[in-house]
Amino acid sequence: MRVLIADDSRVMRQIVIRTLRQAGYDGWDIIEASDGAMALDIALAEAPDLVLSDWNMPELTGIDMLRQLRASGSDVPVAFVTSEGSAQMRQIADEAGALFLIAKPFTPESFRDALEPVLI
Amino acid sequence: MNAVIDTSMSDHVLVIAQDIFTAMIDGEPGGLVPGHVPVSELVDPWHAWVDVRGDVAARAVVTAERGTCDAIARALLSMPDGEDVDRGDLVDAFGEIANVVGGNLKSLIPDSGALTLPQVAPEAPATDGVRAHEVQLSWRGSPVVISLWNLNGTEGE
Repeated sequence: MRVLIADDSRVMRQIVIRTLRQAGYDGWDIIEASDGAMALDIALAEAPDLVLSDWNMPELTGIDMLRQLRASGSDVPVAFVTSEGSAQMRQIADEAGALFLIAKPFTPESFRDALEPVLI
Repeated sequence: MNAVIDTSMSDHVLVIAQDIFTAMIDGEPGGLVPGHVPVSELVDPWHAWVDVRGDVAARAVVTAERGTCDAIARALLSMPDGEDVDRGDLVDAFGEIANVVGGNLKSLIPDSGALTLPQVAPEAPATDGVRAHEVQLSWRGSPVVISLWNLNGTEGE
């Protein structure tokens, strides 16, 4: 399982990686991107099994990254890990084709609940 | 333009902050509790803030003393106690706290536009807005203050 984690905060990327491990997802091959444009480039070039992306990032927001991925024909699965989990944001994410949205702060259980249904 | 931050929203701040510290920093509840030190009494304070910008405008500012910021960064980065924290890690870690506080508060504001990227500085952010609330907290005995501002010049309560 190759997972791209996109967040402009190194601290948050580290926390997401640690939380994945705590949720039981050990041994995943993790790639990191520090802004949305870098995430788009890596997603297009390497087609990871999953992109876990922040929403609010420099260069390109997470939602625009997802829209550009889809516009380019990529069907790489994308989900959001973001500080705002309003119904409005969830609807926007869903309409753009995101798998799910995990709101910060999160727990290992948040990741398990979101990931288990899509890892079949 | 109406004030964004009102009393009902500020009531959520303690819960939001405790959720953040429990999930991201302490791993268990009880680390962050109500405090009693106003922001004006903090020594060597650092400030992290994000704005909500759209039809409404508001700001969430998290303020703590430098040593507390270092401890928060160490906790977030799983660094040993006492290890030096460089400015980049402090800015990243403390900014992320403000980002999550701001994002959660923004979720309470209907049609609230966009959240800015977090900023962190030893100087308080310049503003012509009005501080609506100051929520005084204590993390492991050290003061942490969250201030909520209406940036459109109207009182919040």
